[in-house]
Amino acid sequence: MTDAARAVTASTLPAPAAPRDATLPAPVERVLDNGLHVVAFTQRNLPLIAAQLVVRGGSSAEHEDEAGLSALVAVLLTQGTAVRSATELAAASDALGARLDAGSGFDASLMSVSATTPAFPYAFALLDEVVRRPAFAPREVERVRTKSISDLALGYASPAVLARLVAQRVAYAGSPYGHPVAGTVTTLPALSRDRVAWFHERFYRPDDAVLVIGGDLEIDDAFALADRVLGSWRAPGRALDAPLDAAIPPPRTRVVIVDKPDAGRTALVVGRVSIARGSPDYYAATVAAAVLHGYSGRLNQEIRVKRGLSYGAGASVSARRMPGLFSASTLIDHTRAVEATDVTLAAIRSLVDAPASDEDLVSRKATVTGGFHRSIETIDGITGSLAEHALYGVPLAELSEYTRRVQAVDAAAVRDFAARGFVPDDFIVLVGDASQFAGDFAGRYADVRVIPSTQLDLSSPTLGG
Amino acid sequence: MNRGPVSALPTIPAIAIDVAPIEYVDRTLANGLRTILVVNRRVPSVAINVAYRVGGKDDPPNRSGFAHLFEHLMFKGTSRTAPETIDRLTEDVGGFNNAFTSEDITNYYEVVPSNHLERLLWAEADRLASLDVNAANFATERDVVIGEYDQRILAEPYGMLDELVNREAYAVHPYGRGVIGSPDELNAASLEDVVAFHATYYRPDNAILVVAGDFDVDETSRWIDAYFGTIPTPATAIPRVRAAEPEQTAERTLEYRAANVPLAAVEEAYHIPAASHPDVPALEVLETVLGAGRSSRLYTALVYDKQVATSAYASADLREHPGLFGLRVTCAGGVALADARAALANELDRVHAQAPGEAELMRARTQIASSVVRSRQTNSGIALMLVQSAAERGDPGLVNDDLARYLAVTGDDVVRVARTYLRAENRTVVEYLPA
Repeated sequence: MTDAARAVTASTLPAPAAPRDATLPAPVERVLDNGLHVVAFTQRNLPLIAAQLVVRGGSSAEHEDEAGLSALVAVLLTQGTAVRSATELAAASDALGARLDAGSGFDASLMSVSATTPAFPYAFALLDEVVRRPAFAPREVERVRTKSISDLALGYASPAVLARLVAQRVAYAGSPYGHPVAGTVTTLPALSRDRVAWFHERFYRPDDAVLVIGGDLEIDDAFALADRVLGSWRAPGRALDAPLDAAIPPPRTRVVIVDKPDAGRTALVVGRVSIARGSPDYYAATVAAAVLHGYSGRLNQEIRVKRGLSYGAGASVSARRMPGLFSASTLIDHTRAVEATDVTLAAIRSLVDAPASDEDLVSRKATVTGGFHRSIETIDGITGSLAEHALYGVPLAELSEYTRRVQAVDAAAVRDFAARGFVPDDFIVLVGDASQFAGDFAGRYADVRVIPSTQLDLSSPTLGG
Repeated sequence: MNRGPVSALPTIPAIAIDVAPIEYVDRTLANGLRTILVVNRRVPSVAINVAYRVGGKDDPPNRSGFAHLFEHLMFKGTSRTAPETIDRLTEDVGGFNNAFTSEDITNYYEVVPSNHLERLLWAEADRLASLDVNAANFATERDVVIGEYDQRILAEPYGMLDELVNREAYAVHPYGRGVIGSPDELNAASLEDVVAFHATYYRPDNAILVVAGDFDVDETSRWIDAYFGTIPTPATAIPRVRAAEPEQTAERTLEYRAANVPLAAVEEAYHIPAASHPDVPALEVLETVLGAGRSSRLYTALVYDKQVATSAYASADLREHPGLFGLRVTCAGGVALADARAALANELDRVHAQAPGEAELMRARTQIASSVVRSRQTNSGIALMLVQSAAERGDPGLVNDDLARYLAVTGDDVVRVARTYLRAENRTVVEYLPA
């Protein structure tokens, strides 16, 4: 029997029932006297409480030549405080059975903690300690910086990692999203303990931060705890920095090829600057990306299933304060780079030329809502989603409307958004053995730039070379 | 630097962590299939686990790696469905699926939006009842599994360590063969072996079905009856491993050298009782005291203070039959393995000599209790703990008493199990060295 003949039919396989929606806890907001925006929610299924503190200072707040500063600050928060060494902090967190983490992104830095109900007040005090009293001990600064630099070298060895970083530069050049969040091998060594302390002093302030606390406690108790622990955090007299509003220049070059002769395969990224988180098109953009993404998404169907060009291909759209990046990416054999690029461009364009029908969208939307529902199974997941809403000024009530808003996206909205937000003005980045494909591109595209990987400089808005 | 007084961090009475029991419906169908249903309607998602009580220890003679190879074949289609049907029924609707093979079970699992539950029950029943294995997909998957062996065991630094520890530690019990098996024995397998294996172990009375999440018990029970209840049970008995590992009376040591070993490492593996044994909670507290996290004794002494190791941890590998308690140390660069082992021996002496103090016990109990609570957050976490408890300990309900059992462990219990099991004559030592 052929596979096709055995394809599951409706007569044997039961049909899915009507989708159901989640019941999310209702968040309540309050602003403390020191300007800290607090969001609290109650969910009492388990004795667990989580908190996330977000400060509006991420990599986009760094100077171009200090790329990696916000990330370095965030990592160092948990490496020792005024009263506890890195090891003592780890021991204290272990003793509480807590999880204490910090990191930074394009728009913000975030600290999170979670623990069982009886341990949480103590764990929350640890969060306060790392946020307000980090030691930034010179020995730890040196250790973390050295490790970060060796991690970068590891990442640069991967064509896929390099292609993402190059795509970010091509998309944003010298504007605030252009430089790598993790910094570069030239910027990191120059970041001193003083600069770390400066960034912390400038951007970690209560009147430009959001705290989400939720789980096994009453709303009022959450506010009281926030006030008791963080109420004494004073905002500096200095006015807040103006929100970012830098113009993003259009890409200078349509095709950028990084020649990396030792790459096993060629990494391809097709992308463009696409959408801000606060845009009313956010849900349409999310569904449009889902039409392309996943095993049965259009990219993987064209690239892997129909042509065997790669093990997989996917797409994503990253919505931020300012428009974030849409990208489609895959890894292919060097000799098939042109073909894969054509197929990828065509798959993206198919969102407009051969738009998905409302019926096609049913399963693509299910991949979006299914992932969302899994993400809110944990209180860390709910806390993180609420923090993101608050960070981007999206009404918190939208979280409980997530499924409904995704479902409301129709075929026309997807096609319309793709025509505006994915297709025009896209650029192409390839990282691989250029000797095997660069010539093919030169004949097809007017502006092709080839940069030897040895001359690639991610610190430069123009990538050096 | 004057850091001033360390602010007091009161220890938390872990006893105060109070978790409601997981309520489940436990029903065995007439054909022997055990079904365990847990309703949790907060999120419209459902986790399904189907565990077969067959793992590496049950591989046929001279066919090691067979249970794991078989796991791969379960994705290759049935007489009614095309290959990878389960992938399409999950990934394309916002879910995921996977499977694993351990020494004792082969577990297949899916998480899907709850409106797709009936389809997945249909599909799981379908691949139990009408798996379609042909020569072509058998040959392909055998190559995939051998490729996995090459990647995980041969290419990875320390990839052989688990295999060597099991092989040396078990003289009689088939745990000695490991799960991944040997490429030679897999290559010797035939399609007839595969068909016989399915007939022997993939039967309703050798399976446990767990569903956790957003569903109605009555409706789901009817689906289970309709799709699984009609699958016949063979009259033959299910073969069970009866081998009992004799008590070890002298230390066993093995030195292994390989080219891809960056730093010397050692594992000391001690025989411990089965997962259902009453000493297990104390062994897990011992595991945490010695080797979980940056405040554990092994990390503090070997990695941080003496700097003789880059990593040092303990793991209690609990199985249906008696398992192993492993202490694994990877040397720091330029440090002789003997020096790292001496530091490890020193920590063993300490744990033999004296019960851990109350603060240290509290830390261990709190860490374990917190991880138990966290694992209950997701439907997939709940389903997995029930399936493992049912398969390896014979009783899913034990998950509801685990927390109390950990909290009841005393310092004397810890020192007693350390003295009972962590003895030189009860251990196998594998030294893993650069060539």
